[in-house]
Amino acid sequence: MVLRILDRLEEILISALMAAAVVLIFVAVVHRFSIGFAADLVGWARANDYPELQAMARSAFKWVNGFKLTWAQELCIYMFVWMAKFGAAYGVRLGIHVGVDILVERLSPATRRPITLLAFGACVLFTAIVAWIGADFVWHVKVNGQTSPDLEVQMWIVYLAVPVGSALMCFRFMQATWLYATTGFIAHHDHSRVDGLEEEAEDLARGGHA
Amino acid sequence: MTAFVIFAILAVLLLTGMPVSIALGLTVFSFLFAMTDIPLDSIALKLFTGIEKFEIMAIPFFILAGNFLTHGGVARRIIRFATSMIGHWYGGMGLAAVVACAMFAAISGSSPATVMAVGSILIPAMVAQGYPVKFGTGVIATSGGLGILIPPSIVMVMYAVATSGMVVTGPDGGPIMSASIGTLFMAGVIPGLMLATMLGATTTYRAWKNDYPRMPRASWRERWRAFRESVWGLMLIVIIMGGIYGGIFTPTEAAAVSAVYAFVIAVWVYKDIRLREVPKVLLTSAAMSAMLLYIITNAVMFAFILTSEQIPQAVSAWIVDMGLGKIGFLMAVNIILLVIGMVMEPSAIILIMAPILFPVAMKLGVDPVHFGIMLVVNMEVGLCTPPVGLNLYVASSLSKLGLTDVTKATWPWLLTALIFLMLVTYIPDISLFLPRLLGMM
Repeated sequence: MVLRILDRLEEILISALMAAAVVLIFVAVVHRFSIGFAADLVGWARANDYPELQAMARSAFKWVNGFKLTWAQELCIYMFVWMAKFGAAYGVRLGIHVGVDILVERLSPATRRPITLLAFGACVLFTAIVAWIGADFVWHVKVNGQTSPDLEVQMWIVYLAVPVGSALMCFRFMQATWLYATTGFIAHHDHSRVDGLEEEAEDLARGGHA
Repeated sequence: MTAFVIFAILAVLLLTGMPVSIALGLTVFSFLFAMTDIPLDSIALKLFTGIEKFEIMAIPFFILAGNFLTHGGVARRIIRFATSMIGHWYGGMGLAAVVACAMFAAISGSSPATVMAVGSILIPAMVAQGYPVKFGTGVIATSGGLGILIPPSIVMVMYAVATSGMVVTGPDGGPIMSASIGTLFMAGVIPGLMLATMLGATTTYRAWKNDYPRMPRASWRERWRAFRESVWGLMLIVIIMGGIYGGIFTPTEAAAVSAVYAFVIAVWVYKDIRLREVPKVLLTSAAMSAMLLYIITNAVMFAFILTSEQIPQAVSAWIVDMGLGKIGFLMAVNIILLVIGMVMEPSAIILIMAPILFPVAMKLGVDPVHFGIMLVVNMEVGLCTPPVGLNLYVASSLSKLGLTDVTKATWPWLLTALIFLMLVTYIPDISLFLPRLLGMM
């Protein structure tokens, strides 16, 4: 039950960050355009002598220019750092992290099992070390009180993604190891998955035009 | 010696089948603990700052844009457009497959997904028309790789990221700027079109020799309809390239805008994806991006170790001493990468190998943009070579042919791609003509 809540939280967090980052950068681009457009309009109205339009364009320019989005890039980067760290943990569940399996695939099941368990163990070890180093690092940043250049947020909060994300990833690798040890199952993400092909295939079978 | 130890550790770890990203990270850690006095803190910092660059953020955005349009319906529209334009030529459906693969791969950004989407629609259709199943499988398995060459290309972003900020010198000792994402994208256009043409020529030749059936010529009305339906998806490429070249936005902004555009098209214009399916697309894209960003983080640490041990300089001195020269060096790079490409995935190879090879190439006077395009073409061939060519696996599962049969089926096109690789390697103008013409370099 607790695990299911953790799963959902993880999924919601990373999809929300992804969506928010896209919207943020899109809005920043639109914002920059509207400033340029309003400025051009002011100039055009002045040149062609439309005082009302000029006044309107000027106030629009002032209004849009009032929003400062200089922090957008920074926020986008931080959101993606969080998305990357938690997404990597989610990816373990999906089996999205690709490795070189050419050798292990050719081994007999008896020799393959210990090697795969060793590989899983190494993943657990690595993510645990990163979580440890990360926590230590975050502690030092917190003591130093470093803040980010544009948003002026405490940097330790931003960097917290590394130890927390890596700890979660470590937990996911432990789960995956356990799953493999007990059932022999390894998750594999299908990189060639394309939705909506069944409908097209059905239509073709019914004589549709290719 | 140090270089040998580092790569031996990496190779052993990789062969256990663990994720490439973790093998890279563990190599760094074991090397650090065992044999150097580099402070751990400087490495820890890389864990945090490795992906803190706005250019890198183009990757998640491009993946998201691609995933919105990686749909059977989009593939179908593009295929219909391609068949209506050139289906009546010799090897019509095969040619259409090349064109459809090029366009779909550019939009979706994923080679295996392209082979899956185009293959599952066109292979049965080609068989029904009387083509042998091997022919269709061969065309599509190789053409699916075109996507990493035709912009927007994530592998090119990887190359730009891996080489940016490196302090390298040219043959005359002067500093050299690494290639920008925008220039690389533009440089990929002509090679992409050229490779598609060459693959198409091979297809037509084989079809003409074996007298495979041609399709009836489509009317202009049909063509116009097919074009109007597929143009929404294809506009994605135009927005990105036009936007970057016109200086309207940076590659990352272009990627974000294209993601919003792809969302609007997929949900409201094509209606392939329902609004409630959007979170699933976001989630998958986030997971795929996170996987790539995780490799980048660890590759940055790995590159840091290489640099602090002065390995690129050592390799570069060694190669210059060998008197290999530019021609010999590029040949050696191609052979090494083709071998690695047989067992590893493109992004990972670029991230690991570019920091080592780039300084040497610059020392020998190779252009950074040309070198990047050459690496990308090489990766593309790697996708179609056994034993681990991802495209071959997908093609094999689609056509129900064994992996060996699929490999045999691809040889005419694979040979074409290899000839093209030689052309790109030794004729820099193929890559540099367009960016020079546009004044980007």
